[in-house]
Amino acid sequence: MNATQLLLTVVMFGSLFSVLTLSLNLQYSRGGMINFGTVAYFAAGAYAYAIVTQDPPKGLDQYLFGFGGPWWLGFLAAGLASFIFAVITGWPTLRLRGEYLALTTFAFAEVFHSILLNERRIGNGSVGLSNVERPSTEWTGLPDTYIFTLAALALMLATMLFFNRLLASPYGRAIDAIKDDELAAQTIGKDISKLRFQVFVISAIPIGFAGALYAMITTLVNPQLFTAEVTFFIWIALVLGGDRTIIGAIVGTMALVLFQEVVRAIPFETVRSAQIASSVEHMMTGLIFIIILRWQPIEKLAKRVGFS
Amino acid sequence: MTLLPQYLATGIVSGCFLILATIGFSLTRRVEGFLNIAHAELLGVSAFTTWGLNTLLGWHILPAAAVGIVTTSLVGLCIGRLVYDPIRKLGPSVLLITSIGVAYVIGGAIDALIGVGIRTLTIPLATSYKFFGIRMTDYQMMVVALAAITSISLALFLNKTKMGLAIRAMSANPELAASRGIDVQKTSRATWLLSSGLAGLAGVMLATIATLSTDIAFHQILQILAVAILAGLGSLYAVIFSGLIVGIAMDVSVFWIPAGYRPLIAFSVVIIVLLFRPEGLAGRKSS
Repeated sequence: MNATQLLLTVVMFGSLFSVLTLSLNLQYSRGGMINFGTVAYFAAGAYAYAIVTQDPPKGLDQYLFGFGGPWWLGFLAAGLASFIFAVITGWPTLRLRGEYLALTTFAFAEVFHSILLNERRIGNGSVGLSNVERPSTEWTGLPDTYIFTLAALALMLATMLFFNRLLASPYGRAIDAIKDDELAAQTIGKDISKLRFQVFVISAIPIGFAGALYAMITTLVNPQLFTAEVTFFIWIALVLGGDRTIIGAIVGTMALVLFQEVVRAIPFETVRSAQIASSVEHMMTGLIFIIILRWQPIEKLAKRVGFS
Repeated sequence: MTLLPQYLATGIVSGCFLILATIGFSLTRRVEGFLNIAHAELLGVSAFTTWGLNTLLGWHILPAAAVGIVTTSLVGLCIGRLVYDPIRKLGPSVLLITSIGVAYVIGGAIDALIGVGIRTLTIPLATSYKFFGIRMTDYQMMVVALAAITSISLALFLNKTKMGLAIRAMSANPELAASRGIDVQKTSRATWLLSSGLAGLAGVMLATIATLSTDIAFHQILQILAVAILAGLGSLYAVIFSGLIVGIAMDVSVFWIPAGYRPLIAFSVVIIVLLFRPEGLAGRKSS
């Protein structure tokens, strides 16, 4: 893999996953909600996109629905699916606090994953849906990779701007007030559970869009792609970048994707050595995670520079 | 129609294993005050240490298992001292998130050292016994017996010994315990040794009744969480009932629905409990 290709991959997946990190940042750093089921909203988006754009089932296909719709319809459906899933999971769970919320969202994500895996009528079970529709990019005259990198960047920037505007508004200050002092916020008439629910649901929409874009890039959705690993990956990226800052969330994600891609780009002689490398990559990621949570160096640096 | 009682019997065995796996987790939650996601990885440490000594070095299973449990105990203590102690002031959420990092490190280390593939211990094949038409192997019976012995001895330890009482005092009110002259640090270390040792025991059990692969630990944490939540986080005696309930529910469900949904049962339990009775079976209101 040459340098340009590596750069493109990092920017593409880095921007894509940054959308998830940004949403998580909003939920955790601003809303004080620990969501350990991020991957479920991402998967809901990807599957919604695939189902809406997929041709009707034929031959060995076991899925029931394939609407053969255009890509933009699928994209909108992805945002909607993630939104609906957030309403369903957020409604009953958001009165729970801290670790209980973490566990319930985690449980919801696992149940959703299990249904996708076992219920063949949704998306062919463990086989998944392949040859997912991509928007035609011929008119631009650019290779697909460039287009999707730009699309991912655009989605990230749009999410960033949207969240930025939201947080700078009086609405955003109400959210911050709840995070800082729940009782005081309640005293001046802020409906805490309503605000938390809104933050949770709003921040799920970009995750759905990211899921649709992910399905376009990989042209494949299957349960293997949407395990709890994705959730933890996003959490590590968020911690890496130091929470509370939008720029930190993006830098953290990019750094983590770069780290993984570099390790993957190293050529290995045997399967065993490649497997050791990926395990060591896991260990390193975990170690960095522990170290950063303990000393919080990036957060301190960002505060000094004045980014927060 | 002996199928249903058979599933019930298997469910009791699964439940007993889950009790062993969850007691240490709940003890940590009670005394240290956070959910240690890395607890399940400790099962892996013990299972693979035992496997290494038993199969690679040719030790007899008993000394191999003993060394495996002691090693796990010490590993747990080291992690507690090195990783969790310094960040305790940052609160349970940060500790919970950190424990994911710890799970990554342990899981990665096991993966790197052992590699993919399925492994079994070098032990005599299980002998199957038949009672009233229900089959059970000697290893399965051993799991049930060990779960019973462990629960009883843990209850005796916590109620009768000085260290046990100190652990209970600390879990009820750390400040008061400290002001009454309980050595908080010593008690915390004892808790780490004990809970990790219990994880070690559960790991050995896992190695005897199941085949080992390196991703096995992660699957256990899902079920451990289910049992712990059903019991009410941090309560120890309710773990016994909830372990049996989850174990039986999972295995008996196979009678009606496809086996692929077995893990889903555990998680449906979590969701239902958290929605309707967040304080769990034990019924202590969480603050």
